[in-house]
Amino acid sequence: MSVRHGLLALLRRGPRYGYQLRAEFEASTATTWPLNIGQVYTTLSRLERDGLVSRDEQGDRDEQGRVRYAITPDGRDELDRWFARPVSRADRPRDELVIKLAMAVTTPGVDVAAVIRAQRSATMRGLQELTRALRTLDASTEAAQRLVVDSMIFHAEAEQRWLDHCEAVLARPSEENP
Amino acid sequence: MTEPRSADRLPAPDGEPVVRMTGVVRVHGEGTGAVHALRGVSLDVAAGELVAVMGPSGSGKSTLLNLAGGLDRPTEGSVRLEGRELRDLSPEQLAELRRRSAGYVFQDLNLVPSLTVAENVALPRELDGVRTAKARREALAVLKEVGLADLGDRFPDDLSGGQRQRAAIARALVGERRLLLADEPTGALDTRAGDEIIQVLRQRADAGVAVLLVTHEPRYAAWADRVVFLKDGQIADSAAAGTETAR
Ligand SMILES: Nc1ncnc2c1ncn2[C@@H]1O[C@H](COP(=O)(O)OP(=O)(O)O)[C@@H](O)[C@H]1O
Ligand SMILES: [Mg+2]
Repeated sequence: MSVRHGLLALLRRGPRYGYQLRAEFEASTATTWPLNIGQVYTTLSRLERDGLVSRDEQGDRDEQGRVRYAITPDGRDELDRWFARPVSRADRPRDELVIKLAMAVTTPGVDVAAVIRAQRSATMRGLQELTRALRTLDASTEAAQRLVVDSMIFHAEAEQRWLDHCEAVLARPSEENP
Repeated sequence: MTEPRSADRLPAPDGEPVVRMTGVVRVHGEGTGAVHALRGVSLDVAAGELVAVMGPSGSGKSTLLNLAGGLDRPTEGSVRLEGRELRDLSPEQLAELRRRSAGYVFQDLNLVPSLTVAENVALPRELDGVRTAKARREALAVLKEVGLADLGDRFPDDLSGGQRQRAAIARALVGERRLLLADEPTGALDTRAGDEIIQVLRQRADAGVAVLLVTHEPRYAAWADRVVFLKDGQIADSAAAGTETAR
């Protein structure tokens, strides 16, 4: 994904200033995906170049002369296509932890069990923090934010289980490494 | 909500956690068949603290829980419950301390099916010698705390799994028990009911009870102030939530 599609989705609600887009983007991802304002304007100018957004010329400039952006018909089409298309595994960033453990297993002299233990504690601390965050969200919190935190909890949980699995598999003497 | 502390309860010495285990070893059996279930475990659980114990099957979690509540005695090392060294107690004194201080919740088989929920919860108090009417009042108060105020006159079989487990927690807490030991209390439940159980445990800890929870579910362990990972009878590592509760 893309910040691109996130911004298009926000602009679908109506024209917005860059700083507004940034605040709304962070709010709808429960501040788990911080954006800096530079990223917002860089993305907007690429979207403008591609004809997916335009400067909202009728819109008032604010007192600092900042300009509002609006989604174009091509932008709407692109957004519809994005929602219709499932995310494929290849689009997701490679998981550094998986690579690290695979390397740890095959690199001589690395204490794999220690790598797993350290990660498991760290992952659990992250899970504890997420659980706290979820507990402090009140009933009025937007569903979008709650779902984002839920998603991160499920990910952390899966990572925790996978680490337990790695530990169990590596503890079992194999034929090559009796 | 909580009644004044009974006069016959010895307060724990200042600053002493509800449970303090130091260098605990537990060997089941003898000779060649001996199983080293715990190999030198030290663990404190303070009032108001929820501690989760995780670890693979056979790593010693249940043994740890039984020792913490005085259901079992260590082969070596010290277990102190509310400031009393369990080794120094006679079997009668141990039984007494255990009944007054600790409550247990297991995965299932917690309630007597022929008694109502309120009667089940009042049972430990009646065993303590408390009059029936007072025991019932205490039972209803603690049922309210776990969100079962209206279900006291039902029978366990008429409750959902999650409600039954909350009733078991109420029974484990009645009479100001300051230590709650729960061994896989969410084990047989779906996530919704499991979430209710963990919330009740969290609330009881926040209200000052020391809670020791065995679970294999990371999502429930994450509600704890501290998570301890057992492996082959030893604490392999632990995770504390936030610096304010880390000790
Ligand atoms: N009463 C007992 N007699 C003999 N061995 C036991 C007894 N209780 C537990 N064990 C053994 O001690 C080890 C730890 O058991 P337990 O504490 O039940 O682990 P967990 O709850 O983590 O699965 C296991 O190897 C188990 O077989
Ligand atoms: Mg067990």
